[in-house]
Formats: sequence, C-alpha cells, structure tokens
Amino acid sequence: MYRKPTRDESTLINRALDKWGAFEFFKGRLLMMKENASKIVCLMPAELEVITRMQPYLAGLVIGELKKQFVPSMAGADIFARSSKRNKFYIIVNENAEKLVLYGRDIIGESIVEASDTLGENELVIVLNSRLEAIGIGRTRFAGRSLLQKGRVTVTTLSDAGYYLREEG
Amino acid sequence: LTLIFSESVESVDLAARYGYDRWLVGRFLEYVPGVEDFLEKMERPPTQYIRVNTLKTSRKELETRLSSKGFELKRTSIPEVLAVEKAPIATGATNEYLFGHYYIQDLSSCMAVDALDISKDQAVLDVAAAPGGKTTFIAQKMENTGSIIALEPNERRARAMSFNLARCGVYNACILRRDGMHAEKLQMKFDRVLLDAPCSCEGVIAKDATRKTNHTPQDVDYCAARQDKLIQAAAMMVKSGGILVYSTCSFAPEENEIVVDRLLQKLGNVAVEPLKYGSSGLTRFGDMKFDNQLMNTRRLYPHVHDTTGFFIAKLRVS
Repeated sequence: MYRKPTRDESTLINRALDKWGAFEFFKGRLLMMKENASKIVCLMPAELEVITRMQPYLAGLVIGELKKQFVPSMAGADIFARSSKRNKFYIIVNENAEKLVLYGRDIIGESIVEASDTLGENELVIVLNSRLEAIGIGRTRFAGRSLLQKGRVTVTTLSDAGYYLREEG
Repeated sequence: LTLIFSESVESVDLAARYGYDRWLVGRFLEYVPGVEDFLEKMERPPTQYIRVNTLKTSRKELETRLSSKGFELKRTSIPEVLAVEKAPIATGATNEYLFGHYYIQDLSSCMAVDALDISKDQAVLDVAAAPGGKTTFIAQKMENTGSIIALEPNERRARAMSFNLARCGVYNACILRRDGMHAEKLQMKFDRVLLDAPCSCEGVIAKDATRKTNHTPQDVDYCAARQDKLIQAAAMMVKSGGILVYSTCSFAPEENEIVVDRLLQKLGNVAVEPLKYGSSGLTRFGDMKFDNQLMNTRRLYPHVHDTTGFFIAKLRVS
C-alpha cells in the first residue's frame, strides 16, 4: 500500500532533500510512502490513480528509507548526485576505491580524493567517483581531515551500485 | 492448429545436418527466406546490442566511455541502439552497466518499442513486461513523464524487473502483478499498449539451441491460443486513435499473422500501419489467405536483419 507521508514524515523528507541539495528536482513529482516498509518513492502525478485504485507491486522509484533519519537508496543517491549542487555530504574517491566500493568494501582514508573539512563523525555521505557519479552510500567513522588518514577505514560503505548486479541474480 | 508439411529431401537433409526436428525445418522452408543461410546463422552467437539509457547519459558519452575500455561499437538504424562488435569484458560487467547507462537489449526488441511512436505525457500499458527492457526504453522515450503500467504476474520476474527499473532511474512506471488476459479489470484506456507476447521463441534458437528439438507443434498451438486471448484483451485497452504494438520472438505464422488476422476480423476498428524495419509479413500460409494489411506487419530474420527472429505489428485502433 502506498500513502501520502504524514506531516512529520514530510518534514523529515524535506529536510533530507534540502541536506542533499535535491529539493528542486522533486518539484512537480510526487513523494509517497510505501506502507510497512518506510520506503519513500518518487513518482509522476499520472500514476496516482493506479496507486489509489490498485495495489501495485512497485510504483515509481524508491529514493530512500525513513529510519531514524532519511537514508537514500542508490537510485535516490543517483538522482541527488545528478540534480544537485554538490555540498559537504558528498565525498569523492579514486578509481581504485571505486572498484572496491562497487563490491561493497569500506573506504580507506588515502583513497578519498575530496571530503569537506566540516564533515562530522557518523554522517551519512554519498560516495562519488571521479566523474561525480554516485557509486555508494557511506557513513563517516571520523570527522574533518581525519577522514583522509592513511591505512584506516574512515568511511563504512552502507550500500553500493554493485548491488544491482549481485541482487539481480 | 499448427500446420505440418510433408517431409522433403531438403527438409530431411537440413534437419539432419543442423540437428533440428524435421517438422520444424519443414515449416521454416515455408516461411523463412534462404533457410540454409538462416540455419547457418543460428550456429553462430547472435550480435549483441546495447541500448543507451538517455535518462542517464547520451549516446556520444557512452560511446566515448566504452571505447576507452576497448569496446568497439557500431551505430544501428535506431539511434539509441549500438551493436557491440568487440567487448574486452562482459557487457554486463562494466561500471556503466551498473550505473544504468545502458541496457543489453536486442535491436528487434527496440524496434517494437520504436513502433509505438511514443511521446511525452502519454499513458502506456506494457502487457507482458518483465524483465523490463522495453519498459525502460518506453520510459526514456517519455523522458520519465506520463505513466506506464507494466503487468507481470510472476513475482520473481516482477522483482527482477524492479531492479532494472531502479538501475535505469525510471520513476514513471508501476508494476502490477496481473495477467494481461484480465487487463480489462484495470478499467483504464491507454494511448499506447505494447504486447510482447509470450511465445514459442523460434527466433532465439541461436541463444538457446535446445529449441531445435524440444519445441513441439503443441507448444505453438498453446502459445497461439494464449496470444489470441492476450491480443484481444490488449486491443480493448487502447484509446480511440491509440496504438497497439504486438510482437513475438517467433516466426510461426500461427503466433503472428494468424493472430493479427483474427483480431482484424473480430474487431472492425483496427488497421495495420506500415513500419520502416524488416521484411513484409505473410499474406498467405499453407492454404490460408490473410487480410492484405498483413503486408504491413514486419518479420525480422537473423540472417537478413542481424537481429533475433522477431515479428512486429503496429495496430491503430479507431
């Protein structure tokens, strides 16, 4: 079942879209909750009739999940990365790390090419490759410059674009 | 019922040489031009095609990126589709594939979508939709606007389809776990309806050689009966002035021209429109003669058009 987000959920979602710099993209599109799963889907208004009258297996694109906070899905991260102005919640990794992230591996400090000094510990970040494409979603283990320290995992990979291939099979 | 022709020296010889059941080769001799070339072509791996996902990238950008990895690509009659002439790694194992920049899809399958003449903001029904190749192509032609309803009764296939939609960044589609035979329960009409009907898959022998011998006339009968019901259900879902595209990956006239011919006879408001790809459909088979409009349907032969074997009919419902 799909439903409109409650006021509280809308507030959390709007804050998240603002955080990722993707607020503008979702104008003219609908955001709905997939009940029982706390998943947020983006869809076109024309799909509303189907959603309200029938119970689709899937409607639109899951852009994230509301847990204690909004956690983007890979499809959501991809939209955010392509439609928003990059801010401190995006980190860039080198080509070697890109391959490892796509296998679900965590990120070591020296493979981070760009990360904001103002990033805190335990922050959700979208991991980009050198072409600024979303390749994963991570959580920082350190703050600021410590993210770049050598020889240590500084960002935990929560999900990655490789899962499409792994899960599809 | 599926027509079986008397064995000839040629059919017996070709069947023995290429490892097919005789009845099948006997039929090919009736409706496939240059049968020996066709059978020879079926012995080689088919050309692989990829379709650029313009929701995420451009053809030029994808060509540049894959070329830098050693891929050799060739443009085709459909601007979004590229033939893979050389692939240093599996086409489904590149980062660009993971990012949804392309979909591995045969040219013939893309021609069926092209025949829909889709534009933005339309309502589209994709009747037997999984794994989602055509749905994602429809979505990109609509630039993620309007709405697509994709029917797929099987949960495993619907799940696989959901991954493909997510990978390709499609958000204007809904998957309903319904059988296309009961499409009327949707109580909606659509600008465009695509029915890529489940079929006996005669056209994909190059990908699955077991079909040379494990394919029976009863399979063709079974598929044809189902296709008959599906096309009628699909035709009822089209708005006046809208388009229904019917396709299969089979050569069997029972699954193609005969199905369309019966629909034309049954409904007086359907016309077959011409298509720019492939060879003309049959207007005769055995002692049967079909509506002349069937000439406008299209057959795609692997050895002539370098695609999988395919049939496409573009039907305008008035």
